[in-house]
Parts: sequence; C-alpha cells; structure tokens
Amino acid sequence: MNAALLIARRDLVELARGGRLYWMGGVLLLLLAASLAVGFTRQRQSHAERTQAQALDYAGWLAQPERHPHDAAHQGMHVFKPEAPLAIVDPGLGPYLGSTLWLRAHRQTEVKFRPAQDATGLARFGSLSAAWVLQLLGPLVVIVLGFAAISSEREQGTLRQTLSHGVTLRQVLWGKALALGSMLGMLLLPAGVVAGAAVLAFAEAGARADAALRLLGLGVAYALYLAAFIFMVLAVSAWARSSRLSLVCLLGLWIALVLVLPRLLADASRAWVPSESRREFERGLGAALGDATERAWKQAFGVGKPFGSGVSLSQWGLGLRVHDRAGYAVLDRHFDALWESYAQQQALQRWAGVLSPTIAVRALSMGLSGTDFDEHRAFSSAAEAQRRRMQDILSEDLIEHADGRGERHFSYRAAPELWARVPPFEYRPADAGAVLGRAWPSFGLLCAAGLLWITLAGAVAARRGLG
Amino acid sequence: MLAANDGQQVMPMALEARGVSISFGAVRALEEVTLAVQPGEIYCLLGANGAGKTTLINLFLGFLQPSAGEVRVDGRSVRQDPIGSKRCVGYIPEQVMLYGVLSGLENLRYFAELATGERQSRERLLGLLGEVGLDASVAARRVSTYSKGMRQKVGIAIALAKRARALLLDEPTSGLDPSAASEFSALLEKTRAEGVAILTTTHDLFHARRSGTRIGIMKRGRLVAERRTAELGEHDLEALYLEQMSS
Repeated sequence: MNAALLIARRDLVELARGGRLYWMGGVLLLLLAASLAVGFTRQRQSHAERTQAQALDYAGWLAQPERHPHDAAHQGMHVFKPEAPLAIVDPGLGPYLGSTLWLRAHRQTEVKFRPAQDATGLARFGSLSAAWVLQLLGPLVVIVLGFAAISSEREQGTLRQTLSHGVTLRQVLWGKALALGSMLGMLLLPAGVVAGAAVLAFAEAGARADAALRLLGLGVAYALYLAAFIFMVLAVSAWARSSRLSLVCLLGLWIALVLVLPRLLADASRAWVPSESRREFERGLGAALGDATERAWKQAFGVGKPFGSGVSLSQWGLGLRVHDRAGYAVLDRHFDALWESYAQQQALQRWAGVLSPTIAVRALSMGLSGTDFDEHRAFSSAAEAQRRRMQDILSEDLIEHADGRGERHFSYRAAPELWARVPPFEYRPADAGAVLGRAWPSFGLLCAAGLLWITLAGAVAARRGLG
Repeated sequence: MLAANDGQQVMPMALEARGVSISFGAVRALEEVTLAVQPGEIYCLLGANGAGKTTLINLFLGFLQPSAGEVRVDGRSVRQDPIGSKRCVGYIPEQVMLYGVLSGLENLRYFAELATGERQSRERLLGLLGEVGLDASVAARRVSTYSKGMRQKVGIAIALAKRARALLLDEPTSGLDPSAASEFSALLEKTRAEGVAILTTTHDLFHARRSGTRIGIMKRGRLVAERRTAELGEHDLEALYLEQMSS
C-alpha cells in the first residue's frame, strides 16, 4: 500500500482512539444539526409567510374598488423576495437586506423588514447557520485535530522512525492531510446528506436540479476551504518546535484569518471605495429627480413646476407619464452608482480571499446559496421593473380615459379590470449555471490559497526536516 | 568495497563509509572516517559523548549528508539512492519510538508495511514477535504499557520484517537492566548469525567485547582505533579505550 495511505490509516486509528475527535466532532455535529434545524424551520416559516403575503397582497390589489388609477398607484403593491432553498445552509445577507419592497408611485423604494433590525446585540456575532459553523468552527476543528500532526511526531521521535524506512516527508504530509480530510469527511458527510435532503425537500419540483447543482458547488467550496486550512495546520505543525507552539500559532492564525481579517477588510474596502450614506443618497436622489422632472415638464409643457396650474388637468395623465419617465433614468443612475460602490467593495474583499480563505468561501457560499448582494440587486431590479410596469399601465389608462374629461379629470374611476392588467410579480433567481459562472474567481482564490499552503507545508517540512 | 562471503561469493559491504567528513558550523563532527561492516558482523563503535558516533549513524540513515566522502548501504550510495538505501537498514535508537495507542502487533504491521510496501500477514508478524520474545498476548497490548526492552524487541522485529541487510543501533542497551541487556545481546547474535550486518554505538565496554566481532573507537570525529574482538584479551579493550581517551 502507498506510504501516504498507510500513514493516513494509522493516523485515523490514533485519532479514533483519542478523545479529541469525539468531543470536538460531537460539538461540531451538534452545532451543525442545530443550525440545520434552525435554518429549515426559519426558512419554511418565512417561505410560507412570504408566499401567503404575496398572494394576499395581490388579491388586495385586484380587489380594489373602482377608483382613480393614481390613487391605486399610491397604494401600490408589495413584493416579497422568495427564500432561496439553500438559505437553509447559508442565510447570507438576507437578515440584513430584508425581504419586502413596497412598489408605489414615483419612487423606487428600499427593501423593508430586515430581521437584523429586530435582533439583539448578540446577533453581531453572527446568526447560527450551517455556513457560520463551517466557516468559523470548521477551521478550529482542523486545528484541534491537527495541530500536533507533525510536531508531536517530531517530539516523540516517531517521525525519525518513519523516515528511517525510506518514507519521504512529502508522503508524511499527504498522509496526514488525507487522515485529517477523511476525518472531516466522516464528520461532515452525514450533515451534508441531511442538509441536501432538507434543501431538496424544500425546493420546488422544477428547481431541484438547480438546488442540487448549487449544493454540489457548495460542497466543493467548503472542501477546498477546509483543505486550505488542513495544509495551513500541517505547515505550522511542521514548522513549530513544539506542539504547544504550534497550537498557539494556529489559534493566532485562526483569530487573524477567520475573525479579524474579514472584518478589517470589510472596513478597509468601505474606506477605499466609499459609498454614500442613506441621508446623502436620499438628498442627492431627491435633488436629481427634481431637476430631471422640471426639465422634462419644461420640455413637454413649457412650465418648470410639475403638476402646477400652468398645465391643464386634461394633460394630467400625460404629465404623470412625462414625470415618471423622466425619473427612471435618474433612479437607474443613482441606484446603479450606489450598488456599484457596494459591488466594488465586495470585489475588493473577494480578492482579499487569497489572504483569508474565510473571505473567499463566505462570498462563494452566499453566491451559491442565492443569498448574496448580487441576488438582492437582481431582486430589487426585478421589483423596480414591476413598479414601472404598474405605473406605466396606470398612467396610460389615465391618458386614455381621464385626460379627455378635462377639468373633471379626477372624477374618473377605473374599473377593477384595470388592476388585473398589472400582472402578479414573479421573480426567478439566476440559474445555478450562471451563479457558478460568476463564482469562478472565488473558486480560483480558494484553490490558490490551498496551493499556497500546500507549497508552504512542503517547503517548511523539507527545511525543518527532523530538527 | 566488496567482502568475500565464505570464500565463494563476493558481496558488497553492508555498511560502508569512505573518507567521510561533516561539520556543523565551525564544529568538525566527523573527519575522514572510513569504516566498513560486513554481512554477519557486529561492529561496536565506542567513544565519549560528542565523538561523532550518532552523526555517523545519521549519515547511514541519510538524515545528514557528508561534506566529503561517500556513505553506502548494501552497495547503494545513500546520497544517490536515499530511499533504496533506507529500505535496506533497520534503525534502533536508544529509545525505540513507537505509537503508544497502537499495540505491538499494530506498530509492527504499520512499520513493516511502510518499509516494504507489502501487506504483512498476521501470522508472519506474530511469528516475528515470537522470535524476538514477545508472545501474542503481549503483542496485543498497547505499546504505551511496554518497557524499554520490549520496545527494542519490537524494533528488532521491524528490522526482521523488512529483511534489513544492516542494523543501526544507537546505544541500544543504555538504561536496560542486566537481564534485558543480556536478552538483547542474544537477540543481536541471532540476527547476526542470519547474515545481518550490525553497527552499534555504545559506552558499555563489557557489552562491546562480548557482543561485537569488531570494535572501533571514535574520538573528536575521527576513528582512532579498530580491533577484532577475537584479538583482544579480557582487559585489553579497557586499556585500549583509556589509552585512546587520554592521548
């Protein structure tokens, strides 16, 4: 049998006979089970709530009595972001970005009802999810199981004994990596199967293949992530003069790479690519909308004040259309600029994934789970398209039926058939293929991090040897 | 260098160092050491601490590379064929380091398979452990419960399992009680009789004269004296050793 396989098998027997595996693995499995149960319950509940709310809201829209269409436009409708099946594993930015948009006349609105707003201060440490457990505690488990992998063999003299039989340090490293990887696989595979079953049970029939593909991507992402930490642990264990030093260094690295660096880089990216505050954004958008609509009114009707006495009520519907269409470009420009600044911040953070695999896997995990900012942006854009569709249908109806009434414009009451011309909101997230296509830089970074640590582990072991 | 075997066949020396030198910084650890051990010979290397005995063992194991000279195991250059040369030798340090949570049998299986790359049957392994004086009930116990002597027996069994052409022993009897040391010497003699070359470092002159077929004395990195034990009288070795140390 190959020497690396023999070493792995022997390491597995040793780990299985030691206590560390049981308490650490037990804690990990317990947390994963708890997080999956919490994720499943939370997602089932919010999916049911959102589906029901979406249906009720549209039913309320359709049930409007005869009324002036612009009153209906001001009442508007609500759209609810559908829960991604993989939010069971990684809720991502969902709790922070919210799920509901109010589509109303004249203004694009921001998403409301953010669970994080209602959370206590403890939520700042992160909500319990399988992704959180894997991202934060996965590396810690690798450290606890592997910190002494090479250092203790050197301390005890068994490394010398092993090498005296013609085994190379490279084979020792791969054997150790294989043992740690197998151990993690044995611990995480049951959790993966449970998560897969939960996700597939939750996904609608037509979306199961998509969910399965995303799950596969997620599995590969976390395997690469933990592999990078395995080789990091082996590199430090090969370098350290004692197991105690190895443990101290690895815990320091864990704090730096998993806890501090992601936070630090998030702040740094905000400083590097500043985005407007909500107040600045609102002020800038309001002013730009005012300018654009005044220009449009001047061009269309020769007056600078929208909806003023200079334009007769027989042109009120037309004015509404001019007003809204003048705003579309402004809204696009301002929201695009804001979102682009967020996207640039995220891109900066993503490239920092080469320093901290946690950053790379976090982006990848949220992307594949459909809970990242790209998904939120796509939902917001789809919702805005629905708002404009609603607004255009109602304005056209006013031009057609109310403007002809002249001064009696506001006596017009549209029949409920008009409300049915606004279709129900339907949002289809990007398919798994497109998401995986977008995710290649993060996959690449994880692979690069893994290769970096493999090279370092090999170089350190060769340099340090038995010393 | 080649050795005649029963006057019939010419075989390579099992262990051979030719003009070997090595330094650690400014310290000259070995200086032009030339030494050869034939198959079926027990070569005892004597010398004070720091004389270079363990360094020489490390050169044969390929853990260190000489700055000058050549080291060969069973005719293979340690520098050019580090893996092949290690596969020919068994190494038994003062403390044979084994995995405490594994049994003697499991340790033997692991190291034997690691060294040979072949699967080892339980019967063969138990047979080898029996040869070195460890019965099946002892073999099934965790090594953490073994005495030093028992660990050394497992070490010998590993060397036998890998069919080592040469054994390198670094102060193997240090710390063993007289009975265990005597048992160990008998085991070495048995191994030697099977044609295995043995190079052992020791401070024990009595053990060296009784077990060795040849004796070398090292001082400050040099091999300063070499004798066949058959040529030495009862007190000659002690006298020779003291003479070399005081000169």
